[in-house]
Amino acid sequence: MSRLAPVDLGTPAVPGLASVQVVVDGIPVVVPPGTSVMRAAASAGIDIPKLCATDSLDAFGSCRLCLVEVDGRPGTPASCTTPCVPGMTVTTQTPRLEKLRRGVMELYISDHPLDCLTCPANGDCELQDMAGVVGLREVRYAEGVNHLEGATDDSNPYFSFDDSKCIACSRCVRACSEVQGTFALTISGRGFDSRVSAGAGELFMESECVSCGACVQACPTSTLQEKSVIDLGVPTRSVKTTCAYCGVGCSFVAELRGDQLVRMVPDKDGGANAGHSCVKGRFAWGYATHRDRQTEPMVRDRITDPWRTVSWEEAISYAAERFLAIQREHGVAAIGGITSSRCTNEEVYVVQKMIRAAFGNNNVDTCARVCHSPTGYGLKQTFGTSAGTQDFASVAEADVVVVIGANPTDGHPVFASRLKRRLREGAELVVIDPRRIDLVRSPHVEAAAHLQLQPGTNVAVVNAIAHVVVTEGLVDRDFVAERCEDDSFADWEAFIARPENSPESMEPITGVPAADVRRVARLYATARNAAIYYGLGVTEHSQGSTMVMGMANLAMATGNIGREGVGVNPLRGQNNVQGSCDMGSFPHELPGYRHVSDPAVRSIFEAVWGRPIDPEPGLRIPNMFDAAIAGRYLGMFIQGEDIAQSDPNVTHVKAALGSLELLVVQDLFLNETAKFAHVFLPGTSFLEKDGTFTNAERRINRVRPVMAPTSGKQEWEVACELATAMGYAMAYSDGAEIMDEIAATTPTFAGVSFARLDELGSLQWPCNDEAPEGTRTMHVDHFVRGKGHFVDTPFVPTDERTSRKFPLILTTGRILTQYNVGAQTRRTENVRWHSEDVIEVHPHDAETRGITTGSAVTITSRVGETVLRAKVSDRVPQGVVYTTFHFPGSGANVVTTDYSDWATNCPEYKVTAVEIAPTSRIPVTDEEMHAEHQPVGDRA
Amino acid sequence: MSVTDHAETPASLVRMANQIAGHAEHKPHDIAVGLVADHLRDFWAPSMRLRLTAYVDSGGQGLSPLALESLDRLR
Amino acid sequence: MSTTVYIPCDSAARSVGADEVALALLAEAELRGLDISMVRNGSRGMLWLEPLVEVDTVRGRIAYGPVSADDVAALLDGGMLDGAAHPRCHGVTDELPWLARQQRVTFSRVGVIDPLSPADYAAHGGLAGLRAALGMRPTQVVDAVTESGLRGRGGAGFPTGIKWKTVAEASDPTKFLCCNADEGDSGTFADRMLLEGDPFTLIEGMVIAAYAVGAVEGYVYVRSEYPDAIATLRRAVEIAYEEAWLGADVLGRGFPFDLEVRVGAGAYICGEETAMLDSLEGKRGMVRAKPPIPALQGLFGRPTVVNNVLSLATVPAVLAGGAEAYRELGVGRSRGTQVFQLAGNVAQGGIVESAFGLSLRDLVEGFGGGTATGRPVRAVQVGGPLGAYLPADRLDLHLDYEELAADGAMLGHGGVVVFDDTVDMGQQARFAMEFCAEESCGKCTPCRVGAVRGVEVIDAILHGSPDERGANVEILEDLCELMTDGSLCAMGGLTPNPVRSVLRHFGEDLGLTPVSAGAPS
Repeated sequence: MSRLAPVDLGTPAVPGLASVQVVVDGIPVVVPPGTSVMRAAASAGIDIPKLCATDSLDAFGSCRLCLVEVDGRPGTPASCTTPCVPGMTVTTQTPRLEKLRRGVMELYISDHPLDCLTCPANGDCELQDMAGVVGLREVRYAEGVNHLEGATDDSNPYFSFDDSKCIACSRCVRACSEVQGTFALTISGRGFDSRVSAGAGELFMESECVSCGACVQACPTSTLQEKSVIDLGVPTRSVKTTCAYCGVGCSFVAELRGDQLVRMVPDKDGGANAGHSCVKGRFAWGYATHRDRQTEPMVRDRITDPWRTVSWEEAISYAAERFLAIQREHGVAAIGGITSSRCTNEEVYVVQKMIRAAFGNNNVDTCARVCHSPTGYGLKQTFGTSAGTQDFASVAEADVVVVIGANPTDGHPVFASRLKRRLREGAELVVIDPRRIDLVRSPHVEAAAHLQLQPGTNVAVVNAIAHVVVTEGLVDRDFVAERCEDDSFADWEAFIARPENSPESMEPITGVPAADVRRVARLYATARNAAIYYGLGVTEHSQGSTMVMGMANLAMATGNIGREGVGVNPLRGQNNVQGSCDMGSFPHELPGYRHVSDPAVRSIFEAVWGRPIDPEPGLRIPNMFDAAIAGRYLGMFIQGEDIAQSDPNVTHVKAALGSLELLVVQDLFLNETAKFAHVFLPGTSFLEKDGTFTNAERRINRVRPVMAPTSGKQEWEVACELATAMGYAMAYSDGAEIMDEIAATTPTFAGVSFARLDELGSLQWPCNDEAPEGTRTMHVDHFVRGKGHFVDTPFVPTDERTSRKFPLILTTGRILTQYNVGAQTRRTENVRWHSEDVIEVHPHDAETRGITTGSAVTITSRVGETVLRAKVSDRVPQGVVYTTFHFPGSGANVVTTDYSDWATNCPEYKVTAVEIAPTSRIPVTDEEMHAEHQPVGDRA
Repeated sequence: MSVTDHAETPASLVRMANQIAGHAEHKPHDIAVGLVADHLRDFWAPSMRLRLTAYVDSGGQGLSPLALESLDRLR
Repeated sequence: MSTTVYIPCDSAARSVGADEVALALLAEAELRGLDISMVRNGSRGMLWLEPLVEVDTVRGRIAYGPVSADDVAALLDGGMLDGAAHPRCHGVTDELPWLARQQRVTFSRVGVIDPLSPADYAAHGGLAGLRAALGMRPTQVVDAVTESGLRGRGGAGFPTGIKWKTVAEASDPTKFLCCNADEGDSGTFADRMLLEGDPFTLIEGMVIAAYAVGAVEGYVYVRSEYPDAIATLRRAVEIAYEEAWLGADVLGRGFPFDLEVRVGAGAYICGEETAMLDSLEGKRGMVRAKPPIPALQGLFGRPTVVNNVLSLATVPAVLAGGAEAYRELGVGRSRGTQVFQLAGNVAQGGIVESAFGLSLRDLVEGFGGGTATGRPVRAVQVGGPLGAYLPADRLDLHLDYEELAADGAMLGHGGVVVFDDTVDMGQQARFAMEFCAEESCGKCTPCRVGAVRGVEVIDAILHGSPDERGANVEILEDLCELMTDGSLCAMGGLTPNPVRSVLRHFGEDLGLTPVSAGAPS
C-alpha cells in the first residue's frame, strides 16, 4: 500500500441513495442502506485497521482487525461485515479494541518472516502498515509451528507466490472467484494448515490460472508479487493511461521507478475495467522495450535492396518526393493509405487528414475494414449510429445475455469477468457459435443454450429467432409503435414471418435444432432485459452486415434497446477500432460518420483544413489491392497494421504490395508488410503515445506518455511532417490541439477535450452540449436516426462452399494470451502459454484422416496451403476445423479467401472450405519466422 | 508499368456488384435497383464504378440482371 | 402365540454386540421351535445395560441386560420369554426408576417403537402434532412454537419460534429448511439415537416447520460418522414419501415439501450453521460472517431455517400436547425438557431427558451413579468440548441456560462428561486448544493461529521454566480474551471456556497456586 495506492474504502459500494445515518467516533455519516460500518467510517475519513477487506471484494470478516464497538450491542463486531442501521453509534478506538487488534497482529506476525527490510514489498505491504497502525511492539509467543519454510512457486513468468509470507486472508482466492470468475485458486487444508493453492496443489502455470493478476493486486503482502517489482523495486510514481490491446480499453496506472516502468496496475476508477485486467494488459507490455523495436527511419529504393538508416528529414522527404512523383505520373488517386486501430484518435485523425488534404483523395481505409466495418454499416442503417449501444457495466442489469460469434473469455477477458459475475447472479446465457467456447460451461457458469450452428449461417439463425418472435406474438408492440418506423417494421414483419425463415425450415441449413431456436427466442423475447454481445464471428462473413442488421431488428422488435441491461453490443477487437472509425478512416466518411458527398460536411472541414475535399468515396483496402495489381494504385502509407499477415489471402495481398512503387510503413517492428516497404518509419508504442483511445463502449480514454518516444517523434508529428513535405502545411503543438480540432469539426465530439478527460477520467460519445458528461446508453428516448429502421435480412449463403475436395470449414479465433498477429504478445513471456497456433479437429474428422493430437497436418483451401499441428477436440463440431492466427508461420491467412461482406468488403475470415491431411512437413516455428525477420542492411 | 487495365476481366468488381444485388433481390424490382445503385454510389470509388460501367459497355458478361440495371441507373 | 422381543438396532447397542445377541436368539429360538417375533427398536438410553433385550409380557416389557450372545441359551432356559427373574433381569422397563424419573417428551418413542414402522409410529402418537399444525394457519403454528418457549437445542438456545417467524416473514418466495444433524461434540449422541430410534419424529417436525415458514425444500445434514443413522433416516424418508407425509401433497392437504438427506465429510466446523450451509451448497465448509443471518440469507442466499435435530424433533410434541403443556415444564426462561447425554467416567451413562432445572448433582450422582471407577468426581464438562469444566463443588448448579451461563458455563447440546480425581486438568486445557486447532475452519485469525499458539503456550506453562509461568499465563489469558471477543464463530469464541475454567478452578494442574489462578468465588 504505497502512496501510489488508491484509497480503499474496505467494502464495495452499495447502490442506492444515502439514507442511513450513523455516527462513527462522533462524526455523523449518511450512507446507502446495506453499507458496511467500515465503509461508512472510511467515507468519514476514519480508517479502521483491516487486512482481509478491500473494496473490490465482498466483505469476508476473517482477519478480525476491524472490530469495533457499537452502542447497545454486546461484543465487538467486525466493521466490514456489519451493515449500518439507522441511529447506530460506532466507536472505532477504545483500549479494548486496541488490545484486541494488537493481539490479532501478534498472531499474524508470530507466523510471518521478519525480513521486512529485504522484502520486495517493503513500503508497499499492508501487513507492515497494520503492524504500525495497531502499535504492535513485541511478539510474545515463543517460536512455534509456522510456515516460514513455505515454498515459493516461481512458475508464472510474471509473478511469484511465496507461501512463507501468506497470511491466509483469502483475498487472492476471492479475487480469482469474485473479480475474475476463474476459480483457479482455493484454500487447501484446514485451520492452521489453510494455505492458498492453485487448483489441487498444482503450480500456478499448471493450474486453471489465467494470469489475470487480480490475485497479485489483491494480495496485501509480498506473497503474490510481480517479478518486476522483485527485480526493480517498489514504484515511486505513476501515470494513468489506457491499455492498447483489445477493445475493452482498460484503464491502467503505470507505476514507475524513475523512468523505468515497474508494473501496470488496473485503475479502480477505470470506466471500462473498474480495477480489473487480463494477462495481456497487466503483464504483456515488455514488447515496448524489446530489442526488435526499430527506432530509426530507414529507406531503400527497391525492396530487394538492403535498408539504409537515415535521418527523419531524409526519410520524410524521400517518401514525400516519391509520393508526389507517383501522383504527377499516375494521377492524384494513385496513392492512399491505411490508418491503424492500434493508434490514437489523434494519430488516426491526422493520417486521414493527410490523405484527404495532402494526398487530395479519399483513398483512406482502416484495419477496421477487416473486423467491424459491418457493425458500422449495420448499426448506422438501423439505429443511426455506427457504435454499440451500452457501456460494459450495463451487463450487470441483463437477465438474458446472448453471445454471438465472440469468445469473451479469450478475446475480451475483462468484459467476460463482468459477464460471468452477472451469470453467477442468475442471468441466463445463450451462446451462438460453431465452437463450444469456454463460456458454454465453466466453473459456476453454464449456458442455458448453445446454438452450435454451421459457420456462415448466422443470418439463418437470427432470422429463425425473429420468426419465432413475430409468429408467437412476442413482439413488443408498444416499443415498436412508439420508437420504430411503421412501414419498415411492417415490411420486415411480413418478410420474417415467411415460412422459409422458420426454425424448422432453417434447421437443415444451420444444423441447429428448431426446438432450441424456439426456446432461445422465447427466452430472449420474454426477458426483462436481454442483451446481445457479438464479435467477429458475426462480422467476418459475406453476410456480416446483414447479420448486424438482423440482430438490430431483433432487439428493436423485442424492445431490448435504449436502457440499461439491453442493447446490441459489438466487442471490438482492437483498442481503437471504434475510434479509428469515428475519426473518418473510411473512404466514404469524414469524422463522425458523415458522407463525403455531403457538401455541408465537407465545407466544415474545408474551412478548417483549407483544402477542397473530394466528394466521391475512395478505395477500400481490398479495392486498393485490386487496383495495385491492376497497376492503377502505386503508392501507399500503412500505419500500424501488418496486412501481409492479417489480411485474407495473403498471397494476393503480397502480390499487391509487390506491385507498389512506394510503400511507406510505420510500425514498431519490421513486420511482414515491411518486407515490401521502401520507407520504414519507426512508430511509438502505447507507452509513448499522448492521445486518446475509444473503446467498444464509445468511451474516450486518455493515453498518456509513460516514457519518451524511442524514435524521438510522436506518430502524428510524422504524418504532419510528411504532409508538409508534400506541400500541405500541417502542424499541431500537441495531442490536445488535435482533439480540439476534432471537437470543433465533429458534433458528437463537441464536448471532448483533454482537459475535460483529465477532469472526468473518460467520456462516452456523443459528448456535446446535450450530453456534457457523455452518453452511457444510446437511443434512450429516440434513435439517433429518429425512428428505428427495420431492414429485411434475407439469408444469402456464401459462395464459399464445401465440396468433395474441400469438405471441411475452417473458422478462426483468438486465444487469451496472444493478440492478433502477435507482434506484441509474441515478444513477451505470453508465449509460455501459447507458443504456436494449432488446428482443432473433431475426433471423427481426425480419425477418418489418421490425425492425432500433435501430428502435423496440411490445411489446403482453394487459394493456399499451410501446415499446423493438430489438436483433436470436440469443441468444434464435425466438419469444422478451427485455428488461431497469432503466429506468422501459421499462415492461417494463406488459406483464407477473397470473399467478403457484400456491403463493406469485410473479409470472410470465418468460413473457408478446406481439406486437411497428415504430413511429414514441420510447421514453421516462430523462431524460424523471426530469423527471417532480422533487420537487414546496416542494422543486421 | 502500365496504367491501363491488364487484359483480365474485372472479376472482383463483377463479383462484388452481383453480391450486392443478391442481397436486394428479395425487394420489389424498382426498389431493388435503387438500393443497389445507391449502394454503389455511396461506397464505391468512382474509378471502380467507371471501370464496371465500361465493362457493361463491352458486354457486361457475368453481371446479374439487377446489377446491370443498377449500373445503368448510375450513368 | 408369538412372543415379541426387542433388541435395539441402535449403533451403541450394536457396538456392544446387539446384532450377535439378535442372531443368537433367532438361532436358538428356531432350534427350540420357539415362536418369537423380533423388533429391532432404538435404544432406551440406558447404555450400561446394552445390549438390552426386552420381552413383551402380560406385565409389560421386561428388561434384560446387558445380554451377550453367550447368555442367550441360559436366559431362554431360565424363562426369559415369560419375563422370568434372572440376575440380568431388571423388571418392567418403564418402571425402572432411571427411566421413570425422566420426563421423556422428545424421546418419548425412542427405544419403544420400531423406528421404521409407520403403524407403530402412529400407534404411539405419531402425526398428532402434524395434524394439529395443519388445522392451524402457518402463523398460528409459529406462534405456538414461540409460546411453548422452545429454544434451539443445538447449543445457542435461540428461541425457535422467533427464528421461524423471521423466515416466515421474509419476502423471498423460495425458502429452505435445514436440519443440523452434524452432531460432533464429544460426549453427545442424542441426535444419533433419535435418528436411529425414531426418525419419523424428526421428519414430522420438519414438515410442521416447513408448513409454518413456507419452505418447500428441506435438508438433513448428517455427519458421515453416523452410517446407521444415515441409513435409517434415508429409509424413513422413503417411507414418508410412500405414506405421503412428504412430497407434492403432504397428507393430501395440498402443500408440498421435499426432504433430502445429505452427508457431511468429517469436518466438525460443519456443525456451525453457516459452515453447514456452505457445505450443503457444495462448497468447502467455511464459516460465514453474520449478518446476514441465515434466516434472511441462508442456503443459496435464501431465507433458511436452520434447526438442530432435537429442536425439530420436539416440535411434534409441542403441537400435539399444546404450547402450554410444554411450557409448564422447566424453569425460568428454560422451558420444556432437555435431553441430557451422560458420558465419560460415569457408572450409568445414557440419555436423561428431564425438565430444565435438574441439578448437576442429581444428574451425575443420581442418574449417573457417580463415576464408573468409583473414585470421587473431580470435574464435569457440560456442553461439549467447548463447555466449561465444573469442579465438584459446582455440582449443585441447576441445569438451565441462564444459571450455567451465570457461572461461565453453558448447556450446549446437553452433553455432560464426568471425570474422576485422576484427571490431569492441564492436559484437558491443552486438549481444548488442540481440539480447536484441529477443527478450526481456518477462516479467522484468532481461531486459525490462536488455537495453535494456545497449545504452545499451555505446553510452555506445563513444561517450561516456572519463572516464565506467570508471563505465559498472562499471554494465555490475553489469547483467551482475543479468541472470545475476536473470533468469527462460536468455535473459536467458546474454546477459551474450558481453558479459562481450568485456570479458574484447577490452577494447580497448571503449576499455579490456587490463589494466583484465581480462587473460586
